[in-house]
Amino acid sequence: MSSIARGRITQERKRWRKDHPPGFFARPETNDGVQNLMKWKCHIPGRKDTIWEGGYYPIGMEFPEDYPQKPPKCRFPANFYHPNVYPSGTVCLSILNEDEGWVPSINIKQILQGIQDLLTDPNPNSPAQTEAYVDYTKNLKEYESKVKKQVDKFPPPF
Amino acid sequence: MVGTSAEGARRACRESKVLAVGAGGIGCELLKTLVLSGFEDITLIDMDTIEISNLNRQFLFRKKHVGQSKAEMAREAALKIAPNAKINAFHGNVKGEKFDVDFFKSFDVVLNGLDNLDARRHVNRMTLAAGVPLVESGTAGYNGQVTVHRKGETECFECQPKPVPKQYPVCTIRNTPDKPIHCIVWSKDLLFPGLFGEPTQASQENGAGEENGAGGEEKDLEISTRQPGQSARDYGATVLGEVYHDAIARLASLEDMWKERDPPKPLDSSLITAGLGKVAKASSAGGPRGAAGESASHVLGLTNSHAVWTVEESVAVFVLTIEILLEHHAAKIGMLGFDKDFDLSVDFVAAASNLRSFCYGIPQQSKFDVKGLAGNIIHAIATTNAIISGLIVLEAQKVLLKQFSDVMTTFVQHNPTRGRLLQRIPPQKPNPKCYVCSKAMVRLEIDVKKMTLGQLVDEVLCKSLAFKHPTVLVGPTMHFESGNDLEDDEVLHYGKQRKKILADLPGGPIAHNALVQVEDYSQDMSVEILVQHKVFEDEGSAEFFAVHGEVKGREEGEEGGGDEEGGDSDDDDLCVVVAEGEGAKRNDAEEGEGERESKKQKTLM
Repeated sequence: MSSIARGRITQERKRWRKDHPPGFFARPETNDGVQNLMKWKCHIPGRKDTIWEGGYYPIGMEFPEDYPQKPPKCRFPANFYHPNVYPSGTVCLSILNEDEGWVPSINIKQILQGIQDLLTDPNPNSPAQTEAYVDYTKNLKEYESKVKKQVDKFPPPF
Repeated sequence: MVGTSAEGARRACRESKVLAVGAGGIGCELLKTLVLSGFEDITLIDMDTIEISNLNRQFLFRKKHVGQSKAEMAREAALKIAPNAKINAFHGNVKGEKFDVDFFKSFDVVLNGLDNLDARRHVNRMTLAAGVPLVESGTAGYNGQVTVHRKGETECFECQPKPVPKQYPVCTIRNTPDKPIHCIVWSKDLLFPGLFGEPTQASQENGAGEENGAGGEEKDLEISTRQPGQSARDYGATVLGEVYHDAIARLASLEDMWKERDPPKPLDSSLITAGLGKVAKASSAGGPRGAAGESASHVLGLTNSHAVWTVEESVAVFVLTIEILLEHHAAKIGMLGFDKDFDLSVDFVAAASNLRSFCYGIPQQSKFDVKGLAGNIIHAIATTNAIISGLIVLEAQKVLLKQFSDVMTTFVQHNPTRGRLLQRIPPQKPNPKCYVCSKAMVRLEIDVKKMTLGQLVDEVLCKSLAFKHPTVLVGPTMHFESGNDLEDDEVLHYGKQRKKILADLPGGPIAHNALVQVEDYSQDMSVEILVQHKVFEDEGSAEFFAVHGEVKGREEGEEGGGDEEGGDSDDDDLCVVVAEGEGAKRNDAEEGEGERESKKQKTLM
């Protein structure tokens, strides 16, 4: 694996250990006792005083070999309900696009906070799934009720 | 080369031991140039076998050699040029265990003629660890480069980040392509695998698609499955309609998406009909359609791969390719992926991408160009390889004669700069921030079958190498962390890890030849350790590990060390041997930090 990627991720890990925003969770995934630096398991809390509040949304972060030249892939569970999340769970967000907003200096904290923002403020110009997109643009009530239902699916992990 | 040094150069060639890694495009040229320059002791490594597509430029090989080891066949051919040379050929991966640091140390210079980043990085590290100069090379079409890397004197191969293959954003690929490559990536990574293969694997492989949640994929593509009794051709036409008419029409109707760009246009049914007419005509003309090896474009008489197909022709190729695949390659359906050497898949991607381009108003491409773009092919040029090989040997001679001030980095360019095709610049200095060469490379001899991770951390890393809170990594696997900012469950996990024997660690054992990365956050220090398994026989009172090599970047006056008695750290060949009493046998000893200290003595040799 690339030593540049590894050096950067260990650095990110160090920063996160030192300090991270409350309610957020992020760390290398442990599978059968093997902790893999290139795959992180994270939780994003829904923002206070919004319909997303109360949910702790699990999201996987997968770092490519050439990170941080390229952004990590961020993925909610499949069929996650949000206009900018593909049916596979992949998040469509400009700062996670190499050709758009991604710059290597963006850190894990900023990514997770960016996704937290996206949850409450979807981008109708770049729909990634039909259901949430149509609800959000055509039937806001329905949208809100589905989001609230989803909150119950993701209780606090601790 | 100056006249007086000519004899010296000849002798240097004759008496030196060189390692050539790679026996492909550059490797064949290099081996020829080496033996003709008088090199007589050459070792060659290549893991590949000869393929038919190699023969145009890898001139040491003939058609009858297809399927055989490149290294061995190259050796045979070179021996015909220079029967007295001693050439060792290894058919194997240079990353293999037998090519360890000692192996690399046995050469005077290492010459790279590799085709991938991964192996280049590995050889870079091995030559750094062995302290052997490396002549690195690469070509891409008309361009090429030769660089000399010497530890501590010049930059190493990894001092500068390397350009990486382009990736495309998902949203562009799926919904808003504006370049031919976007449509090609879509065809090759989404549509083709969606129809005939496993989407997951294919799109991960080239990283472009990335969208591959199994269920989500088909749903997004909205392609129906073949109905019982439906003919293959009919099914092909159905897919065509769904993908290029229905799906495009649906997307175009999402008005918000098209405020700033033109919406795509669904494929007109008259074009579809015309294309299907071509298929019917070609098959009724009674050509030998369907012989399993035949491609749709061939059946349709589209044999000029440099011509751009009309939309009708693309429709015909699209439908006929599906038909041929379903009828003659049924066994492979479900596991096909794009392969530049599988003509049906090239046909399909060419037709599918051009149809999509047409819908989006993007210029269409010839099959030849699509194949090149889809397969990331940069057409190799034998002449560039030959020039580069000559330059490798020139630089190698300078290194062997220790004429280091003459060493140059050379670029071979497509267009002349100031009248020159070759640009030469002096070697760059090492990048002090390089993750690879700026830090110490340490060789550590330990008994990996006895030592626990806890012992490694306490005795070797903390006591001998003066780490405070080491993080221990092997590849992507993080075995150990310490420090007071860990969560409780993490402390528990690492407590268990400490009791494990090094060679038994899951997910990247610390075994013979393992490269262990140790980071220390608190000291901002990083060391790469090459582990060598060694049984320390005299168990009673023997040393139980030995550290070779220097540890740079260590802050003087750090606490925690203190036991560096009489150590002359300037010595490059510093060797620390630590002896321990019965401690070594107590693999499962509890982690008490202080208790074992008294039993150890460190000797410096």
